[in-house]
Amino acid sequence: MVSDTIQFLLNDKIYKIRNPDPNKTILNYVRNDLKKTGTKEGCAEGGCGACTVVLGELNYNKVIYKSINACISFLPILNGKQLILIEDLVYKNKPHIVQEALIKFHGSQCGFCTPGFTMSLFSMRKNYKSINNEIIEEALSGNLCRCTGYRPIIDAAKSLKNKKDQDHFKKNQNKTIHLLKKIKNIDIEINHHGKKYFAPKTILNLRRILKKYPNSKILSGGTDLSLEVTKFRKDIKTIISLNSVKKLNFIKKNKKLVEIGATSSLFEFQNLIKKYFLDFYNVLKRYGSVQIRNVGTIAGNIATASPIGDTLPLLLSLDAKVVIQGTNKKKTLPLNQFFISYRKTKLKKGEFIYSIKIPLNKKNIFKAYKISKRFDDDISSVCGSFSFFIKKNIITKASIAYGGMSEIPKRALTIEKDLINSEFSENTFSRAANLIDKDFSPLDDMRASRNYRLTVAKNLLLKAFYEIKDKKNIRIHS
Amino acid sequence: MKNEQLLKGQSIPHDSADKHVTGLAQYTDDVSEPLNTLHGAIGWSKKAHAKIKKIDLKDVRESEGVISIVTYKDIPGRNDVGPVFDGDPIFPKTKIEYFGQPLFAVAAISTELARKAVLKAKVTYEELKPIATIEDALKKNNLLFEPRIIKKGDPQNKIIRSKNKLKGKFNTGSQEHFYLEGQVCLVIPQEDNNLTVYSSTQHPSETQQIVAKMLKQKSNSITVLVRRIGGGFGGKETNFMTAAICALLSHKTGKPIKLRLDRDDDIIITGKRHDFYSEYEVGFNDNGKIEGLKLKLASRCGMSPDLSYAINERALLHLDNAYYLSDLEVKNYLCKTNTSSSTAFRGFGGNQGMMAIENIIDNIARFLKKDPSEVRKNNFYGLKERNITHYGMKINDNVIHDIFKNLLDKSNYKKRYEDIKNFNLKNNYKKKGIALTPVKFGISFTTIHLNQAGALVHIYTDGSVYLNHGGIEMGQGTHTKIAQLVANTFGLPFEKVKISSTNTSKVPNTSASAASSTTDLNGAATLNAAGKIKKNINNFIRDKYKIYSKIEPTYKNQNIYFGNRIFNFKKIIEEAYLNRISLSSSGFYSTPKINFDKKKFHGRPFYYFCYGAAVSEVTIDTLTGENKVDRVDIVHDAGNAINPALELGQIEGGFVQGQGWLTMEEVVWDKSGKLKTFSPSTYKIPAVTDTPDKFNVEIFEKGSNVENVVNKQKTTGEPPLMLAMSVFFAIKDAIASVVDYKKTPKLDAPATPEKILMSISELKSKI
Repeated sequence: MVSDTIQFLLNDKIYKIRNPDPNKTILNYVRNDLKKTGTKEGCAEGGCGACTVVLGELNYNKVIYKSINACISFLPILNGKQLILIEDLVYKNKPHIVQEALIKFHGSQCGFCTPGFTMSLFSMRKNYKSINNEIIEEALSGNLCRCTGYRPIIDAAKSLKNKKDQDHFKKNQNKTIHLLKKIKNIDIEINHHGKKYFAPKTILNLRRILKKYPNSKILSGGTDLSLEVTKFRKDIKTIISLNSVKKLNFIKKNKKLVEIGATSSLFEFQNLIKKYFLDFYNVLKRYGSVQIRNVGTIAGNIATASPIGDTLPLLLSLDAKVVIQGTNKKKTLPLNQFFISYRKTKLKKGEFIYSIKIPLNKKNIFKAYKISKRFDDDISSVCGSFSFFIKKNIITKASIAYGGMSEIPKRALTIEKDLINSEFSENTFSRAANLIDKDFSPLDDMRASRNYRLTVAKNLLLKAFYEIKDKKNIRIHS
Repeated sequence: MKNEQLLKGQSIPHDSADKHVTGLAQYTDDVSEPLNTLHGAIGWSKKAHAKIKKIDLKDVRESEGVISIVTYKDIPGRNDVGPVFDGDPIFPKTKIEYFGQPLFAVAAISTELARKAVLKAKVTYEELKPIATIEDALKKNNLLFEPRIIKKGDPQNKIIRSKNKLKGKFNTGSQEHFYLEGQVCLVIPQEDNNLTVYSSTQHPSETQQIVAKMLKQKSNSITVLVRRIGGGFGGKETNFMTAAICALLSHKTGKPIKLRLDRDDDIIITGKRHDFYSEYEVGFNDNGKIEGLKLKLASRCGMSPDLSYAINERALLHLDNAYYLSDLEVKNYLCKTNTSSSTAFRGFGGNQGMMAIENIIDNIARFLKKDPSEVRKNNFYGLKERNITHYGMKINDNVIHDIFKNLLDKSNYKKRYEDIKNFNLKNNYKKKGIALTPVKFGISFTTIHLNQAGALVHIYTDGSVYLNHGGIEMGQGTHTKIAQLVANTFGLPFEKVKISSTNTSKVPNTSASAASSTTDLNGAATLNAAGKIKKNINNFIRDKYKIYSKIEPTYKNQNIYFGNRIFNFKKIIEEAYLNRISLSSSGFYSTPKINFDKKKFHGRPFYYFCYGAAVSEVTIDTLTGENKVDRVDIVHDAGNAINPALELGQIEGGFVQGQGWLTMEEVVWDKSGKLKTFSPSTYKIPAVTDTPDKFNVEIFEKGSNVENVVNKQKTTGEPPLMLAMSVFFAIKDAIASVVDYKKTPKLDAPATPEKILMSISELKSKI
């Protein structure tokens, strides 16, 4: 069964839109069509959080709340979900507890960013039973405020720590679940004056549609794809969403590896990887914002092949493999063979990424660093990732990769070679670090100069050494 | 003003706080559009310096949804939005002066279609060589005005005779305003060619005048309304381009037009903070006391004068910061560059001047191997002597000594200064630094005639009060504070006072909400209006109830007290109405005492000074240049604050904005004059974890204002931004530790990780 109508829940009512414009953002829909103007546009690229709305998603018999950037989310992704807007937080003329807190702590000045902050705090509140400073900072890192300096907003968030969640969403949860279940989970095929959107449920249907529309754009999180529309003012003629394909949303793990399905969100991935590679988690926490990581996927990050995609150098140095679903069968490729040149990969038309496999090895020592002008939600000037095997003070294996140093994220093969079979010592690392310009010839751009990139890349290798040697982290952010 | 009439600071929430958090606060883009509204977009230049050979708009015209196009040919009147000087054409006829300069605009049935359409223009350029940097402009003597020279005493001779001398160069960077609400305007045509203009501006009166002149209409045909704006910071003080183009589209089509700039367009088209370059030569004694100073101060003004003259003037008026300079010479160069016209930004040049002197003092201290805070103290203006500024103004409200002492104690500076040295000895790659910097900032527009304001107050027959004034609510809480003043003067609860949109048809000829003086000026005008109404009420009561004693009534608890005779406010208002007493009045205020001779650079340009000081402690990573602000202690003078919570918000928010300016915010142009940082993905303002871990902010307890400012308050608009200078010099201190403080680091602002790491490398190479 196939439907041309998307359905979602808003204020206890199921909204149905037949053949909506698949290039229309949720933000434009809310502001222009629904005439609800509480949600603001700040940047139209998911970089300021003023447009934050929350989606309620049915997960077994629970509603999971996700904050997202409405400015870079296409309308059809609402299908089957509950949309919660800033206006909906007020219940019977009484502001929500997070709204009360922001008023009480003087958390708004000009007020333009405030609805976005409110929604981020609301989402945090719904998802965490107990709140600590780390959770607060993470929840707010995707919202920019130019007036307050954040202190009063942080204080407002902290004040929620010991308060029970008894809001109207909680009280109404059974009804919400009942209504969400009423929306039939079937394939979506939209045709809006020739602009098409497909959200198949099975891999079989996905492959069938991909075959028919080999030039279509694949939508996973859409945080990069949507910029084609919101920044470059293009029409995307055919979009195929992977998000309804249940089989692509999985996480498998055994002793030897973890495998992450293509549509698992970065947020899910970050919580999984924490156990195995803490530094991966630390870098991921600074990848975009919660709003981005709630929808963005690791497969999407790989497919865009950005030279500064922060998960890529980390995956490279962990010897990750990418599983590609071809037109006929699956094939597995080491990630370092996947990238061809600037934003080009070995992914052919009609193919898609099925999953990522990360080998687990208890004996390797893993270090990763992201260097950027701003700590939160910034793009790396340099991202360095290091994996070592050290046996009796000899480096037996070194897997080193950098982002921001080349047109693609790349392994530092000369340095690796120089390190292997050498003594684990400062001399060795200083010698190897000096080979950095054999492996990379970075560019000057607005983020950093070539000179800085080379110096930092070198220093990060040394930093990894010092941290391993002294068995403690040397970082200014704890 | 008698002290008992002053409002004891009441920290009530911002009057719109409940609307902010629920999404009900209306900004310009949220105003209900009439059904036939069209949407605009601006087509702009892709070259920084070029002659226009041809603009082919055929494909634009034929693009889906396009209804109309405007070019310079459609402008009936003045083709310029320059506020003081000409130089900012709405659409240039022949010559392009910057990357991003508007060339034409379209109206279409939706914003998306309008934005798509403008990309289809085919512009043929004849490229000219751009001048993009201060260095280049100085070399080619490409200046907006003749260099300005100010001189006091005999600095050359003093420097020669000084025991110690230093020379150096220093840069501070530009800054993008990044107000969260971008430039936006809605124009609705009315009868008689009149226009109602909703605009996100700090300056409705000038918007009105600029639109009127452009359309060759009288000012009385244009009404500008502003309920609130989503941040301004100076970026909406003179940026009239959006409103002008929107009005032009409406004029041509006869339809309501909404013009909302996309974030990228906003950053590319509109001006930013002036970056400054300075060269100095200074002579000083062994205590670090400055004996003679020669300074060259050059700024990137962009392609037009805009407010650059006044901004550079404020830099000249603040290069003393809190320090007495006996012998001084400054040469000031206003560089014309092929970049967007640099404009007002919180601090308005003052902060750039202050950074120049703070850098000099810091270098003096490092040269003498002294604690920089001591050297700063040694140079402070005196209370009884050494208290005349380089522009001849006697300082009679100096509290910097008190604040300094207070802050030293509160922050435990001396001990931490030593602790940090120990920490740095023990840590190889993480280094800490600490710095204490003062702020003295002059309040008033230095263009004297701007120091005026108007207001309009009504009391309705039910006793509720309606209030208009010329100030713009941009987050600073001016509406809340002025409503508090009005409630206090009428003895009413806050809820009885309603402030509405700023509206040029209610209060005319207003000045921009700028120069930190919005509440000072408009609050005083409002109290003037309220005072007139009170006089009417008082006379009415005296007449009717035969009160012959000269006793002055007090308004309190919704009553009016004449000694022991009590009148209920609401009842008296009803009675007054029935007795045909006027319950409405306009009000006016002009700042007394100020004068400034611009030619002689002499006089009293400021009504009063704001003071404050901050201690910042930072950690840097010497392998990567990353940095973090660990702790900040601030003591800031807000006078007798009307609403301490709102002042605290200004102090903290200003600080973090200044921290952004001096650390991570980096505006980058390439050699061809193309802006490379124009979105949140490339331009970084502070985010949540950049807020200092420990942030102890205190409003100076003994604060008052020696002048007769409303409620004896001191404004907190711009001055707190400069408190963040302490962050920059703490970073420099941390860098110095890498060579055990033996050499002085060379560090320019913003201190990005890259600049920090390069500074470290350079410093190490000297040892």
